[in-house]
Amino acid sequence: MKKYILNSFVAAAILFTAACKPEIETPAGTSAGQANFSKYIAIGNSLTSGYADGGLYLEGQKVAYPNLIAAKMTSVGGGAFTSPFFTDAQANGSGYISLTALVNGTPTLTPVAGNGWRDTPTNSRLFKYSGEIQNLGIPGMRVDLSFDPTLTFSAANPFFERLLTDAQVGKTNYFQYIQGRNHTFFSIWLGNNDVLGYALNGAVTVTGDPTTVLTDKVTFSSLYANLLNALTAGGQKGIVATIPDVTAVPYFNTVKPSLLLAAARAANPAAQAVFIQTGTGSVRVATDEDLIRLPFQSAGLFGQGTIPYGLHPLNPIANNWVLDKDEVIKVKDYVNSYNSSIKSIATSKGLAIADTYAYFNQVKAGIMVQGIGINAAFISGGAFSLDGIHLTPRGNAVIANVFIDAINAKYGSTIPTIDATQYRGVKFPDAK
Amino acid sequence: MKKILLSALLSAPLWVLGQGFQVNLQGQKQIGMAGAGSALALDEASVFYNPGAVTFLEKNSVSAGVNPLLFKSAFKQTGSNVTENVKNKIAPPFEFYAVWGPKSNKWKLGLGVYTPFGGLVDWGNDWSGRYALTSLNLKAIYFQPTLSIKITDRIGIGAGFVYNHGEVNLQRALPVNYPDGRSGHATLEGTGKGYGWNAGLYIKTLSNISFALVHKSKVITKLDNGTAEFDVPNSLRSSFPAGNTFNAELPLPSTTSLGIGIPLSQSTTLAFDASWVQWHIYQDLSFDYATNTPALADTKSARNYRDGSSFKLGINHQASEKLALRAGVGYAFSPVQDGYVTPEAPDADRYILSAGLGYTPTRHFEVNASFFFEDVKSRKQRNIETGLDGTFKTLVYAPGISLTYKW
Repeated sequence: MKKYILNSFVAAAILFTAACKPEIETPAGTSAGQANFSKYIAIGNSLTSGYADGGLYLEGQKVAYPNLIAAKMTSVGGGAFTSPFFTDAQANGSGYISLTALVNGTPTLTPVAGNGWRDTPTNSRLFKYSGEIQNLGIPGMRVDLSFDPTLTFSAANPFFERLLTDAQVGKTNYFQYIQGRNHTFFSIWLGNNDVLGYALNGAVTVTGDPTTVLTDKVTFSSLYANLLNALTAGGQKGIVATIPDVTAVPYFNTVKPSLLLAAARAANPAAQAVFIQTGTGSVRVATDEDLIRLPFQSAGLFGQGTIPYGLHPLNPIANNWVLDKDEVIKVKDYVNSYNSSIKSIATSKGLAIADTYAYFNQVKAGIMVQGIGINAAFISGGAFSLDGIHLTPRGNAVIANVFIDAINAKYGSTIPTIDATQYRGVKFPDAK
Repeated sequence: MKKILLSALLSAPLWVLGQGFQVNLQGQKQIGMAGAGSALALDEASVFYNPGAVTFLEKNSVSAGVNPLLFKSAFKQTGSNVTENVKNKIAPPFEFYAVWGPKSNKWKLGLGVYTPFGGLVDWGNDWSGRYALTSLNLKAIYFQPTLSIKITDRIGIGAGFVYNHGEVNLQRALPVNYPDGRSGHATLEGTGKGYGWNAGLYIKTLSNISFALVHKSKVITKLDNGTAEFDVPNSLRSSFPAGNTFNAELPLPSTTSLGIGIPLSQSTTLAFDASWVQWHIYQDLSFDYATNTPALADTKSARNYRDGSSFKLGINHQASEKLALRAGVGYAFSPVQDGYVTPEAPDADRYILSAGLGYTPTRHFEVNASFFFEDVKSRKQRNIETGLDGTFKTLVYAPGISLTYKW
């Protein structure tokens, strides 16, 4: 009898233990609130398409922030979300760059050839994608060129051309292309290239190249309003995103005049200063307020020649490599103007706003996300891919949560957030 | 009189008592009473609970027991609809005691080997907090030789020297990725030692109500030359050199307990314990690496524990000559402040429930069993250091059994 009591006591204890798991109740994933996510479309540029490491390729496409958001929307009434993925045979897409060595902090970046081109070796035309598309992000797309009156951008941009039927090529623009899609919800993150195209060329507009133009502020505002009018024509709800400060990306904050000078002095202690040619054509000593473009570090120019390049006033770093401090002020002013237009138009339409401008500024200062330190440093920062502008999978996950939080806050929905820890930063080489 | 004493204690200024890594499983009879019993000369586990009571034990004895402990913790990231659970790993807190002294003499010797601190948490390598922690296995084994002396027929004092053998294995993922996308991993492993003492006073009043005052000192446990192993892609190897070692220090806090034992009848005794755990000494967890690099600096993670406290009430009922039944309830206040909750000790205030029974088939043998349950309250936190943001909820189950031989 006593043994029986003891045995049953132990047995009950074990059963009880196995059965009882701690539970945590939260509302995540239970409600769409006032929004309807059944057909979500994403409007945008390279960031929206999943472009990364200097190219559009399958791995990046799969983790584009709209795709991550759409996957989470499914628990609150979201439907299928289709994207113009490259096939597995075309997985390298347009080609991209990979990190193949890192010696004493100096990276070696090596191109991976694209296999998504249908006109090799010219490589100007990508394999076509046909079928329903909801991730409508097109690398290089701009607000002004969305309304391209010449309709030629649809032929000139291989990422746009890829999505069009032969009959459409050269006969449409992005504004026309995104309409008539019966969406119930949309996101739009567009306008970055209206200023970035100019900044990426060192604030030099190339004659005849509309992608290097700085879009006029008033024009931007009116065209952006046209876009939102079209996207909300059926009373749809959606989210807009602001444009990050271009100086918050590694492309402009990695190669610094002070670092160049230190490197030059290590080789030749007589080096005095780094000289640049400014946007006004004058030549002067550079300071760290002047931003030098990331590719300069692998351009093989610095210090070369009998008059060492960049180290002598007679052979300064050329204007198109540099966003000098006056140009920085100008570019920041345009970004602020675009953002105030975006926010006021979105507010008047009652749309959610993902303030990626504010968020990227936080990233620039460094943030901790679920145990991961994320900042705007090139390679080690974790958020930016190897081109120094576009996001890593981790960066996409973090930004997707900024969108989700803003959507949930605006519409009372409970789209679950994304576990950013499941997504990688830069891949580090492992060769011995 | 009894009631007055009890209420006086309950209304005493609230000590903030702590749990953290503390494991309150040192004797099956006391565990069955939620951990109360410092004011009862129950058995050889008094070596731990109150060295002053040891001398009042009627017999010499040896005992050994184990309490397989299942720490079931769950986490849900803020905004997520995914609940993640720790793996089912059984930690084995154990206790061994021996008490001997010449019959009808005023002193007794005791030895205790027990595990007052520890933690076994394995969240797995894929969970969302893995960059803060993947697993922790911490053990502190105290060895305590003890002398207990009767000052009068009703007052006993006792003290023991404590030697701690500590072992720790701490692992986490590193947010650097291999070409195949998997993360790096860090493993810190080492053993350490520390010293302390345990002293108690036992008073049995004329009304047979007994009192206890016990202080267990802090034990600063130093780990020297632990191994620090970093699995990282080879291009980062120079930042995380192979064969690195570390020194660290884990301060285990002192505990002051006040106990009361109240005989309700010939066969039933009530025990109440209030404990104050001086966790404030755990201000940071620091790792001092033998080799530092720009990417691998010594770390000093703030923990900022405050003092913790617990209140435990237990009852022991001798149902028959051979069978004893026990039950207990308790409540403990966490030492972990908001912003400092970590997955290695996802602590919060907790409720304690326990039950136990003892069976004495012969004059020499005794079997005791217990079941100990803790419900750690759900706690939503964003950790100040790691940014880990979510809700923790933990349940602890510990069945236990011990065997005793008396003579």
